[in-house]
Amino acid sequence: MSRIVQAARGALLLDFVGAFALGMKYFFRRKATVNYPFEKNALSPRFRGEHALRRYANGEERCIACKLCEAICPAQAITIEAEPRVDGSRRTTRYDIDMVKCIYCGFCQEACPVDAIVEGPNFEFSTETREELYYDKERLLSNGDRWEREIAKNLELDAPYR
Amino acid sequence: MTKILIDGTEVDVPAEFTLLQACEAAGVEIPRFCYHERLSIAGNCRMCLVEVKGAPKPVASCAQQVKDQRPGPNGEPPAVITKSPLVKKAREGVMEFLLINHPLDCPICDQGGECDLQDQAVAYGRAGSRFDLNKRAVEEKQMGPLVKTVMTRCIQCTRCVRFVTEIAGVPEIGATGRGEDMEITTYLEASLTSELSANVIDLCPVGALTSKPYAFNARPWELTKVESIDVMDALGSNVRIDARGPEVLRVLPRVNEEINEEWISDKTRYAVDGLKRQRLDRPFVRKNGKLTPVTWDEALAATAQALSGDPARIGAIAGDLVDAESTKALLDLMRALGVQSTDCRADGAAALGKGPRQGWLFNTTLDGVEDADALLLIGTNPRTEAPVLNARIRKAWLRNDLQIGVIGPRVDLTYPAHHLGAGPATLRELVEGRLSFVETLKAAKRPMIVVGAAALARADGAQILRLAGKLAAAVGAVKPAEDWNGFNVLHTAAGRVGALDLGFLPGPGGKDAAALVAAANAGALDTLFVLGADEGALPEPGKSTVIYLGTHGDRGAHRADIILPGAAYTERNATYVNTEGRVQYARRVVFPKGEAREDWAILRALSARVGKTLPYDDLAALRARMIAEHPTFGAVDYAPGAVDAAAFDPAALGEEGAVSDAPFAPAFADFYLTNPIARASQIMAECSAQAAARASARTAAE
Amino acid sequence: MADLIAQYGPVWGFWLGVGQILAIMVMLLLTLAFILLFDRKVWAAVQMRKGPNVVGPFGLFQSFADFIKFVVKEIVIPAGANKTVFILAPLLTFTLAFAAWAVVPIAPGWVISDINVGILYLFAISSLGVYGIIMGGWASNSKYPFLGSLRSAAQMVSYEVSIGFVIITVLLLVGSLNLTTIVDNQKAGVWAWHAFAWPTVFIMFPMFVIFFISALAETNRPPFDLPEAESELVAGYQVEYSSTPYLLFMIGEYLNIVLMCAMISILFLGGWHLPWGPVEQPFLGFLVLYAKIWLVFFMFAMVKAIVPRYRYDQLMRLGWKIFLPTTLVAVAVLAGYVAYNGRPVIGG
Repeated sequence: MSRIVQAARGALLLDFVGAFALGMKYFFRRKATVNYPFEKNALSPRFRGEHALRRYANGEERCIACKLCEAICPAQAITIEAEPRVDGSRRTTRYDIDMVKCIYCGFCQEACPVDAIVEGPNFEFSTETREELYYDKERLLSNGDRWEREIAKNLELDAPYR
Repeated sequence: MTKILIDGTEVDVPAEFTLLQACEAAGVEIPRFCYHERLSIAGNCRMCLVEVKGAPKPVASCAQQVKDQRPGPNGEPPAVITKSPLVKKAREGVMEFLLINHPLDCPICDQGGECDLQDQAVAYGRAGSRFDLNKRAVEEKQMGPLVKTVMTRCIQCTRCVRFVTEIAGVPEIGATGRGEDMEITTYLEASLTSELSANVIDLCPVGALTSKPYAFNARPWELTKVESIDVMDALGSNVRIDARGPEVLRVLPRVNEEINEEWISDKTRYAVDGLKRQRLDRPFVRKNGKLTPVTWDEALAATAQALSGDPARIGAIAGDLVDAESTKALLDLMRALGVQSTDCRADGAAALGKGPRQGWLFNTTLDGVEDADALLLIGTNPRTEAPVLNARIRKAWLRNDLQIGVIGPRVDLTYPAHHLGAGPATLRELVEGRLSFVETLKAAKRPMIVVGAAALARADGAQILRLAGKLAAAVGAVKPAEDWNGFNVLHTAAGRVGALDLGFLPGPGGKDAAALVAAANAGALDTLFVLGADEGALPEPGKSTVIYLGTHGDRGAHRADIILPGAAYTERNATYVNTEGRVQYARRVVFPKGEAREDWAILRALSARVGKTLPYDDLAALRARMIAEHPTFGAVDYAPGAVDAAAFDPAALGEEGAVSDAPFAPAFADFYLTNPIARASQIMAECSAQAAARASARTAAE
Repeated sequence: MADLIAQYGPVWGFWLGVGQILAIMVMLLLTLAFILLFDRKVWAAVQMRKGPNVVGPFGLFQSFADFIKFVVKEIVIPAGANKTVFILAPLLTFTLAFAAWAVVPIAPGWVISDINVGILYLFAISSLGVYGIIMGGWASNSKYPFLGSLRSAAQMVSYEVSIGFVIITVLLLVGSLNLTTIVDNQKAGVWAWHAFAWPTVFIMFPMFVIFFISALAETNRPPFDLPEAESELVAGYQVEYSSTPYLLFMIGEYLNIVLMCAMISILFLGGWHLPWGPVEQPFLGFLVLYAKIWLVFFMFAMVKAIVPRYRYDQLMRLGWKIFLPTTLVAVAVLAGYVAYNGRPVIGG
């Protein structure tokens, strides 16, 4: 019976008419498109964008070269080399993120015990060459300096949920 | 044997076992910090608490013996419970106390990832701390160039104190204060003077003592771990070599009860930074008096040219660190060319290599030292020549009341020894029975005589060997009936026994190492092939062509006219035979540097150039041929010991003759700088400088 | 062109013919540019998006921007490809798509070649279109294009059968193969349009629907875009194409779509006649037909937006087991009707 009903519906194009009506309903709906370069959506404090290495208020870099981010990174995009700094503290001599490999999962910032590596709110960092997307420590630190206010605010907003 | 119930399972263990050992026998793992199999029992960490049926409270399982336990009311075996809520709560309490003063700095701690405390905190730790007060902070201590201290992390297990006191025999670490103020420190913050000092790093269950040269270099999960063999001395200690990418970062001991237990010397552990300095990474040929980089093709052509002359005017010397495969390949090549002048005894110990194999082995075996009750050291200082063996001797002295006599320089061996004399004359006196120590040896059930390689490298080495052999025969050191062979030669070069076993010795009419050098200086030799020999004498420049196949820009390379860059011990799969005659395989961890290749492969390529192609194309074929021609290489990880002792007559070793009165000299001037790798190492240089400063300070004080 | 030459002499007649052809081509290409944009806009609208809106006012010049992009890009020919065939394939598709328009009357009296077998010619040309696709897929020497072209060939062959039968029903009603005649048969008004004319509406309306659906399949439009199913074949026979050859393929494809829209309008929806009466004025007729083409294309675009893609076996089942029997029966019934009652004179 249901097959006959189904065949009848098919022959009378009822499904199609229904779909057409639905399609037309949405056809005249208000468009959801955000006119991107001129308007932007609000971002969650947890938004995972471009990476940055943060500093303490006194200018000391936070990263202590524990390599937990390197270990957790599922895409193996992070490369760290470390050695004792002149003052004996544990610091990185190299902190590279291959942004081409990165999948923006945010594990690195979850793993970081000192909130040094974070994924900031910036998502507009396209480049013309691949090489520009191989971030080194200097680039990441300058990102941190540039976005520190936003990053700090986001961390503060998200803190109650951690 | 006593029966005991562990978690309901009955096990039968010796009565003197501790509860912890009994639990391990039953397959139950007990967490511990202070307890260590090879150290005395301290019982101060309390982590190993278990419940014993009938006991009013949990007991420390490392400190109670099985025989002390009361049986049940009806005569059942005593019962130990390790998994009860009481035990868990007790251990959690201990863990909480330990963590009160332990900093939360795992991210910057080098122990992170391989830390006992970290692991056990996962099992027994609480999520948060209830401790609101300030944590304890302790000043860092100075322990020398190898051991980095972060004493705030210390949990006062005192493993390090017990190690240096009991095993290393230099009681330089101790604890001051008590309770929360207890601190581990060295005496007046002096550097550790033991050759085994860095083992405290492995022993430390937390990150309080870590490796200074390795500080912050890598995390354990980044490392490629390869189990291999050490070549810094002739013991062939079992090690694990950790590398990251192309760089060897550290060496750790591997447990092998028959060789090194779980200790290695500081040189073994830290000389590896020499593997990246001073390396020969491309072939060189001397042109107009200057070594010039060339291609392999050119270098091999030049080498083939140099080897094309009269075979009687060509010679070959094998050095200290060479593996058996390279030695075999060189020997085959030289014999194919008709060269008879081949010698592996670059140090000049020409007496070795003749007669039975026992004549150049450490027949007692390293393990057997623990059974000895009298020991005579002739011209050897095991503390520098084989530090791990020295720890064994010390262990035997601690446990068996081992009587030790020394002929040679007066040195601190970390255990008391009768200093009988300084030179061969004393040895003759012993043979003639004129010293009382000979009675000690005769009375001993298992006497040992150890002849150092340096003693045999003298001009009168053959005569000294004969005297030592005679003494061994006289005191009955070889007891086939009791499965005991007490005659030993202690080598210092990792490759020596392998080369001797392969017969890398002068053929009929061939010259030995000393004669080769003399001939070269006299203009009677055209070409000398030096396979990694940097320690012995080398010919003067200009009179002969020296071909050097090796790894470092050391003495041999400086003198060489043609340099062929080879692979170091971490860069090839190779066979080494240790001083006991034990065949072991070293494994490749990283690839040879630059254009360097594995030695045997270079020799194989060279053989094709000179038209005498060697009959093997890969390492397996070379090994198969080696084993076919020398069956001893087929028995891997096997020390012959007293096997065939009945057919062994030590008195027939060496040659009869007069010995000089010159006292025995130390095998080498500096423990830290005995081979090209160590000499290229910055850390070894630092250790050496510190040791020299200590020595001069001591001289000044006296 | 023969009539032009007869009328104006060989030189003027020839150039006038060429002028006509050029005029149609330019008009078609312009239409195409906007129909492409329209397609994307409709699709976007159903999905509550705005669609292209940056190039020109409301994105009107988007297609021109795309055109420039395609032309400026580098032509990449795969190393293993058969170069000649590889280049020939899009050219063939492109040329055939234009050639079909030679017989399509776009207004009363406006047709390049008013031949009396126009519909057969159309049928022949559109059947050749499959060669472009097969050649492209084979010459690429790559498995996805090859699979895509195989699918495409099978699909087009299958649906051509039912299209053919549907056309026969129209021919039965009209009694002529000339497209202008077919249009004029429906001049009375919407009640005379073949899709709705009484009493044949019970057969002809389903035929209209089947023709519409078959046209979708014939032009590889969604939901029958299996030859270029992205999720399975990347882009089907076009995978290895880039730049201008790709552009030619695209133009050919969309020209075919527009042709099918025109065919539907001509065969079923009264061509250039208004719903309430005949149109004799050519310019007005052109506008009416143009509007109808756009309307039918709107349906094409809506189908693309609302119907999910068919599975291959479903596609074959629909073609061979539903459409073919249905159209066969329709042809038989209609033929019988015509044989006994004579051709219905629609709308008096």
